[in-house]
Amino acid sequence: MRWAVLAALAIGLLLLALYPLVATGYGIRFMLQLFMWVALAQSWNLISGLTGYVSFGHVAFFGTGAYAGAILVTTHGWHWGPASLAGGVAAVILALIIGYPCLRLKGPYFAIAMLGLNEVMRVLVSYFEGLTGGGSGLSLPTLHASGQIYYAMGAAALAVTGAAHLLITSRVGLRFMTIREDEIAAEAMGINTARYKLYAFLLSAFVPGVVGGLFARDQGYIEPISVFPLLTTITMIVMALFGGKGTIWGPVLGAVTLFVFQELVWARFLYLHQIFFGAIIVFVVLLMPRGILGVLQERYRLPRTI
Amino acid sequence: MGVTITPTMVGQVVISGLLAGALYSMVALGLALIYGVMRVINIAHGTLLMLGAYTTFWWFRLLGINPYLSLLVALPLMFFVGMLLQRTLVARVVEAPELSSLLLTFGISIALVNVAQLTFTSDVRSVEFLTGAFLVGPFALSKSRLVAFAVAVAITAIAFWFLQKTKLGKAIRATSQSSEVAMVCGINVHRIHLYAFGIASALASAGGSLVAVMVAIQPEMGQVYTFKSFLVIVLGGAGNYPGALLGGMLLGLVEQLSSLFLTTQLSEAVAYVLLVLVLLLRPTGLLGGRAT
Amino acid sequence: MHDGHLLEIRDLSKRFGGVVAVNRCSLVLTPGKIYGLIGPNGSGKTTLFNCITGLERRDAGEVFFRGERIDGLKPHQVARRGIGRTFQIIRVFPELTALENLLVVTREPFELAHRRAQELLRFVTLDRLENEYAGNLSYGQQKLLEFIRVLMRDPELILLDEPAAGVNRTLLNELLAAITRLRDQGKTILIVEHDMKVVMGLCEKIFVLDYGEKIAEGPPGVIQTDTRVVEAYFGR
Repeated sequence: MRWAVLAALAIGLLLLALYPLVATGYGIRFMLQLFMWVALAQSWNLISGLTGYVSFGHVAFFGTGAYAGAILVTTHGWHWGPASLAGGVAAVILALIIGYPCLRLKGPYFAIAMLGLNEVMRVLVSYFEGLTGGGSGLSLPTLHASGQIYYAMGAAALAVTGAAHLLITSRVGLRFMTIREDEIAAEAMGINTARYKLYAFLLSAFVPGVVGGLFARDQGYIEPISVFPLLTTITMIVMALFGGKGTIWGPVLGAVTLFVFQELVWARFLYLHQIFFGAIIVFVVLLMPRGILGVLQERYRLPRTI
Repeated sequence: MGVTITPTMVGQVVISGLLAGALYSMVALGLALIYGVMRVINIAHGTLLMLGAYTTFWWFRLLGINPYLSLLVALPLMFFVGMLLQRTLVARVVEAPELSSLLLTFGISIALVNVAQLTFTSDVRSVEFLTGAFLVGPFALSKSRLVAFAVAVAITAIAFWFLQKTKLGKAIRATSQSSEVAMVCGINVHRIHLYAFGIASALASAGGSLVAVMVAIQPEMGQVYTFKSFLVIVLGGAGNYPGALLGGMLLGLVEQLSSLFLTTQLSEAVAYVLLVLVLLLRPTGLLGGRAT
Repeated sequence: MHDGHLLEIRDLSKRFGGVVAVNRCSLVLTPGKIYGLIGPNGSGKTTLFNCITGLERRDAGEVFFRGERIDGLKPHQVARRGIGRTFQIIRVFPELTALENLLVVTREPFELAHRRAQELLRFVTLDRLENEYAGNLSYGQQKLLEFIRVLMRDPELILLDEPAAGVNRTLLNELLAAITRLRDQGKTILIVEHDMKVVMGLCEKIFVLDYGEKIAEGPPGVIQTDTRVVEAYFGR
């Protein structure tokens, strides 16, 4: 059984790797964005799905990575590959600075603090105009590299999903989960919850930073409101939730389903797009808070590590 | 900076701060009610304000009468809208984990904003009614801000009288303290939730009606007020209703004072930075609210 | 060890606002015995546990474990020094399986930990439920799980907060037998309990708290006839 799954996975990855050879420009950009959302939803899952600490400003890491990467490309002539990785590092540094004080906050307070943090980053970026171009945004030198970015985004999505797999099937991941289940009991059992929370947080910040850098390169132009929008945080959350937070494949499933749906709706109902999205959010929160995989786990007794 | 700051400037700024503060207090009181009674974090709060602003705009556009009179229509209307939202949607996330209420109210928010964009268009609107200022000594008191202040104070005072002196108000306060005990005492907690959200909605929209005369009106205008209301609650302490008053005044003062020393861009950041700082340093609020 | 004492509490005090939960409480535990901690509701027993394990910060006084001062340490640090505890309201990890509940608390190599976990599960006849989510277990089963979870770290001192609460007779006897076996292995156990039969039958020495103060200590026979204890429970 296990080999069948692995074989299917290998074939799937092979197909994805070969896709750019036969795809249209639109197709590549479509998949590239899909990978990005998988990466984002999965990253959010690492902190909020596993430890239960709801990061409600996670796009702050995306935006930080976007600007760090873009600045390195424009001002210092870096290649976008290392620049994006540097974006990830910048995001982790941000997470380190605010993580320690923020993670001491309880539930709603942590969520609101993260929300506030995102806005602070957005305004700070607008303010330091000399560095970031402020409200007028930052343009990167023209480059047609969709194909390469496709692979980079794919790698990011793969990496973070791999990380999720490693965590969720290991004792380290279990320890993250005890924080969600009962933080007090976890502490009483010798688990240093403060340290584990921070690890999860740092881990969850890296890939959004990298993906932000890639996004900046791909778009060729970024401005504060385009890389720090609350809507992006919400989207990655809803995707993770819809597929099933706390699972390995949940965020992937959620991202794929909702992104495809979004593209279809957006193409046909341009103006009603947001109402649809609002309806989906309401639907998921009220009717399927455990997500597809969560429901399947309960109903059909699927293992915890799917 | 090269600009010396005179006592007059400080005085002006303090006055402006207090005038703005009353408005923030009133709107934030609504948010405090929702969180206090239902443990729901209402991200749609600013959207309710926006609806109030549009009500006033259309009132003035279509009827041509004093926009402040629109409050007579906007308040009951938004009270019922609030109750409707509560009954159909918010009731399901009462005392749920914060993610549920955050997401749900966000969903409501973007749906409403989108509806506003479709029906009202995204064109920026304004209500040209009360312009100019009274000159009192060396200070200029913007007429519209003064009226907004007076109305906000009046409405807030009524709200507090209601909370302290009426049976329903006391029931609301009891439910804020402990919904279980309230239930045992025979209070119909579901009804309380309905009224609380309705009142909160009315308070938010009152804020919208008042700012409609002063600022640009557009569908996305609510978000910044939502954040400011969060800040007020965090300053005053969650679940601490008088704290919301203090927090609102404080925010107004800090905002105006910072505009003296910082550029407009940075003073926008002040609210957000303050939010994060207060949360990190004193999450229970300056006056002390509930820690959870 | 400090004069042969495993745990020593000196003049511990803890208040919550205006309420004094623990008032200058002192006690000493020597290794290899079963101790009882009793007192009317609200007498500060659980607060005392919380102060020992670092869940609450004490306002005054000191706690020594094996001669080392442990007050002021974080709960996980206290746990790592060899003190384990259970809770009044069961705190298992509901979305983890029974086996995972046990594996997660130890850092031993997987093989070793797995073997021990299965041994402990067999010990309390939960082995056939090892892959069941802890949240789906019955009350009694969760209670047992919480009990053996504490044992996974092989603590020297075990604090049990109302182990008999809500437990049927058969299970209770199993539990009591297990506790006695632990004592025979050299462990020290301190039990907070309301069930007097359990306390008097099991404990070698009992401490009595009332309004946060220790009002008596001694073997069961002495405690049962102590007037202060009787007054504390039944009033004057």
